Amino acid sequence: MYKLEAIHIHKKYPGTIALDDVSLGFEGGKVHALIGKNGAGKSTLVKILAGSLAPTRGEIRVDGIPVPLRSPSDAFNRGIATVYQELSLVPGLSVAENILLGRMPKRRGPFIDWVAAYAQAEQTLVGMQVQLEVRQPVGGLSFAQQQMVEIAKAMSCNPSVLMLDEPTSALSRHETQSLFYLVRQLANTGVAIIYISHRLQELREIADRATVLRDGLHVGTVEMAETTSQEIIHLMFGETVQRERPTDLLAGREPLLEVRDLSREDHFQEIDLTLHEGEILGIAGMLGSGRTELLRAIFGAEPFDRGQIRVLGQRVRSVSPATMKELGVAFTPEDRKNDGLVQSHSIRSNLCLASMNQIATRGFITRAREQVVVNEQVRRLSIKIADSEQAVSSLSGGNQQKVVVGNWLSTRPRIILFDEPTRGIDVQAKQQIFQVMWDLSREGLGCIFVSSEVEELLQVCHRILIMQHGKIVDEVLPSATTPEGLIVQCMED
Amino acid sequence: MMRQRVLTWTRNSIMELVLILLCLILAFQAEGFFSMANLLNVLRNISMQGIIAFGMTMVIISGEIDLSVGSAVAFAGCLTAYLTQFLSNLGLPLVTALPLAMLASLSLGFAIGALTGLIRVRFGVPTFIITLAWMTVLTGSAELITGGFPLTVFPEWYNFFGGGYVLGIPFPAIVFVLVFVLTQILMDYTSFGRSVYAVGGNIEAARLSGINVVRIKILVMAAVACLAALAGIMQSAQIMSGAATTARGWELDVIASVIIGGTSLMGGEGKIRGTLIGVIFLGILVNGMTLLNISEYWQHVVRGVLILSAVLINRINTASR
Repeated sequence: MYKLEAIHIHKKYPGTIALDDVSLGFEGGKVHALIGKNGAGKSTLVKILAGSLAPTRGEIRVDGIPVPLRSPSDAFNRGIATVYQELSLVPGLSVAENILLGRMPKRRGPFIDWVAAYAQAEQTLVGMQVQLEVRQPVGGLSFAQQQMVEIAKAMSCNPSVLMLDEPTSALSRHETQSLFYLVRQLANTGVAIIYISHRLQELREIADRATVLRDGLHVGTVEMAETTSQEIIHLMFGETVQRERPTDLLAGREPLLEVRDLSREDHFQEIDLTLHEGEILGIAGMLGSGRTELLRAIFGAEPFDRGQIRVLGQRVRSVSPATMKELGVAFTPEDRKNDGLVQSHSIRSNLCLASMNQIATRGFITRAREQVVVNEQVRRLSIKIADSEQAVSSLSGGNQQKVVVGNWLSTRPRIILFDEPTRGIDVQAKQQIFQVMWDLSREGLGCIFVSSEVEELLQVCHRILIMQHGKIVDEVLPSATTPEGLIVQCMED
Repeated sequence: MMRQRVLTWTRNSIMELVLILLCLILAFQAEGFFSMANLLNVLRNISMQGIIAFGMTMVIISGEIDLSVGSAVAFAGCLTAYLTQFLSNLGLPLVTALPLAMLASLSLGFAIGALTGLIRVRFGVPTFIITLAWMTVLTGSAELITGGFPLTVFPEWYNFFGGGYVLGIPFPAIVFVLVFVLTQILMDYTSFGRSVYAVGGNIEAARLSGINVVRIKILVMAAVACLAALAGIMQSAQIMSGAATTARGWELDVIASVIIGGTSLMGGEGKIRGTLIGVIFLGILVNGMTLLNISEYWQHVVRGVLILSAVLINRINTASR
């Protein structure tokens, strides 16, 4: 008997199908891993199971009975509790208040029964075999302890299903072990645990069973004890087709960007890299390997502790986005929605954001001069728009990404740093972005391409650096490896 | 299609339409409203606050606020009077002493605004709090340098800056139009203005696009404080004295005009032209209520209701877009 079932779940978004006829069941007392690469549909499925998203079609059953989940509290009342990556605790309140948030025991009228509250919170923690002082404020706890509080909060309602979304992404090795112990304990009491993670080794330790999603499809469910990592990787990535890179792309000798001994505590250490004229340099690594932080530090968007950066042979003294732009460096951020675009503004002004000073003559900007830039980028990147005065928020992900790229191309840079430029965009837009990178390479520009999609790196790059735990551990040539080989190299500890 | 067009046009020009409606009602109801003398009077009355409102529009578009403009007006007037007295006591003729004092007031205004901006970006203190602090500091300082009594040290010709006419048009009104044109050009046709919109719309995207957001915030805060000092000088010229009690509560009217003009308190959106409408609207409403003999107590209530309705109209407009 399944505690929780998803039956023929479909979820459609305009332009994409996030989930395509997914049917799954979760048994009590077992730890079920839910895995898949970015965009496979994991988080959509979690949201549907947690009641925060409605499926286009299909039904959810709890203990075999179909139930409509209209809101997160609906799901919660049915015994489905979720702990998200971003914790939802109130830092100023005590452990007990957080665990019992909104459900504090009362004595006559509005007055809180503190004795009962502390006892109740204490009891929940003891049941989980976690030692925490219930009177102390949550803000002073470590991240791992806060996560325990979050789990306790979920467990205090005795749920029958507990979903954990990437629970170890911010934990140390030791903390991960105590979390696993806790998860085991909970599973032994009969709770069905749904565990979302991308760390394969971890799943070996904690999961009984793994369900793999790929491109919105349920491609397989395997017993962890009877399967190999190779098989899971194969399920996750499918038949990887390696597309050919154009043959006329040649990297020059002249170094455009040199990074020496760049370090930032807790993020990346002793990074050395050189980007040459016309070169597309890939950086591969799992989430949390420090690749994004490194790229942002090179652009001056985030600080670093030591090391140096040279652009065109010249050492950059004060690294900031403004100075890097002056030196001909461009950067398209990972989170284009929040960091790359002013959503409420028009496509036109977003395409002219970075190049404003170049478009202006003595500080003055006219529509006509902006329109020249806008037309050039719209044509070059084939951005599909009806009118450049539309708000940029009305565009699809792929077209928004093209606006971010166009914004930087109009500055006529020598070096472009791409942070996950293909996340959440359709196949055609992806190929167009690659085409742009190749064209830039032909013009002699250097590109750094950070991506979690190994096939993309292999298709696009001249050379790929592999990052693990904040360090560059290896360098490979696309011709000398396969997608599976590269994935294994990124994940190996 | 046609209907859609009319609808969008109506939505975009709703304040203009309401303003025309208000004028029509007043033309029939309030005696003397449409006389040249009354309209010039309205124009003079709205000029001082209007000058500050254009600066405030920039501040609000950049995602900040300045609550100290009223006290800055009083302080600038008092400081100009005080310095004039001080310098002429040193033996300088008034012809030199007064312009020096005016220049000093404007510069100090600029410096205080710049300091606000600097504290904002360096220490992350909201401008709401910083300028609230300035509000009492400046009021107190104005009282300190005047000793609580209006300083009447100005020569007759100084009155021109507040009460004078050029070709029959009040001098402050000319400055008002000038500041309108300048800020309009600045916000629409310069990279500085466009950066102000970008910073207010999404500060992180602006920073990552290599825009110097620190500079933008500092300059915008400095601009409004400097304009407040300018208004303070003209106000002191109109009443021919530096008094600590002038312009009390102006910040409310100034911010109200900006909001009535459609500028979003969230930042990133707004128009100088909208503020022009907002300033005129508020000015005419107050004038009309006075002509209709509505008590000042009611005027306060109406003003508050107006601000609330303007914000609601804006929110509903944004939501339906």
